Amino acid sequence: MVRIKYVKKLEDLKDNVEKMGHSAMRSLDYIIKALKTNDTALAKKVIAHDAEIDKLDKIIESQCISLLALEQPMAGDLRVIATSLKMITDLERIGDEAEDIAEEMLMMDRPIRVAISETTFDEMVQKVRGMVADSIKTYAQGDVETARTFESRDDEIDSLYKKIVSDFLNTVADRSCPPEFVRDIASVIYIIRYLERIADHAVNIGCRVLYMVEGERLYMR
Amino acid sequence: MDKNIKISVKDLSLYFGAFQALKHITIDIPEREVTALIGPSGCGKSTFVKTLNRMNDLVDGVKVTGEVNYNGMNLLDKNTDVVALRKEIGMVFQKPNPFPKSIYDNIAYGPRVHGVHDKKRLDEIVERSLKHAALWEEVSDRLHESALRLSGGQQQRLCIARLLAVEPDVLLMDEPCSALDPIATSKIEDLIWELRRDYTIIIVTHNMQQAARVSQSTAFFLLGEMIEYSPTTDLFERPKDPRTEGYVTGKFG
Repeated sequence: MVRIKYVKKLEDLKDNVEKMGHSAMRSLDYIIKALKTNDTALAKKVIAHDAEIDKLDKIIESQCISLLALEQPMAGDLRVIATSLKMITDLERIGDEAEDIAEEMLMMDRPIRVAISETTFDEMVQKVRGMVADSIKTYAQGDVETARTFESRDDEIDSLYKKIVSDFLNTVADRSCPPEFVRDIASVIYIIRYLERIADHAVNIGCRVLYMVEGERLYMR
Repeated sequence: MDKNIKISVKDLSLYFGAFQALKHITIDIPEREVTALIGPSGCGKSTFVKTLNRMNDLVDGVKVTGEVNYNGMNLLDKNTDVVALRKEIGMVFQKPNPFPKSIYDNIAYGPRVHGVHDKKRLDEIVERSLKHAALWEEVSDRLHESALRLSGGQQQRLCIARLLAVEPDVLLMDEPCSALDPIATSKIEDLIWELRRDYTIIIVTHNMQQAARVSQSTAFFLLGEMIEYSPTTDLFERPKDPRTEGYVTGKFG
């Protein structure tokens, strides 16, 4: 095999993208646990952890540009680099959205007291988490079959999001809802909105993996 | 969008004695576009290009089968006037080969051979050809100097101008920039981009980035076969054949 150094650089790039994916996944896992247990220390950890994701973003961008400038990649290699360059934006945003959720949690000086339907909220959280975890796997394994499922899975998440928001708005419309609960409801709506956006980024990653493996371009969310 | 086809090659095979150098090539070359031929050394791309203007006739023991249809006739037919053909389908080679004459006489040579002797007409042809080859500005004040005093890049543009002077239809370029420095190469590539408006151009190149820069369509040759022929963007971004993928990513060749 020729171009040993170049092949190694491509492998290093992919390794770093996967590393960034796992780092974004950690942020998501921390914040999910923080929400469940109302752990403000863990929420602060999510905020601090975002710096690691941002650092990887810069390293990977630099690797991609260097490969483009110095190696003139073509075909499949070019698609790996182009996909990586775009995908890190989605991963970085996932980290930012986890951080936003943490900040929303910390703005409230007491636990959320609204009666969130735990089932619905949990269901949404698990679906979002599953999509992000799968999106990183699809990149690592070139798994286009799983990538193709993301759009319909995201539709389910969007439906859950709409249901939760609708339920809360009905609660707010009920004049017997205490004012402090209205503040809580607003925070939860922000939080699930960030989760819904995280799922959109997973869909984007799936689309980019399809392009990477098959050269097929689909619309992003 | 359907394209007009300038040269239509059907099941072309070529043998040097017992050795089959080209194997059943079928390809349609679009009019007024640049088509690049890429592939490793010895794959047959130069041999293919030289078939298009019957330059391979000059090789002993060559045998060609199939068809190369151009302007409604098969130019492989034994009755083809190869002199007239080579005026229509001109060629530029890897190493610039100006005649040991003045710049003016290099350009005027072809028209003179084809019967143009009027001085005013020749002056017009020389100026037009040198302008068309983006060389006029650099040599207009020294047309009667020896062409051998020009730089490599200028000599290659002179060879292109010489070709243009006889008003060809198709330009064949066999690695026209291999012997040139990057700036001279860049000037030739800019020139190719301009010329494609008026001429059908086929360029053989070892430089994949050059093929990607200058061509609209690219054909990949390997061991005498044409493996893949696609719009250039498609061939370099998502080639269909794994052999093409392996070659353009530099994994072999």
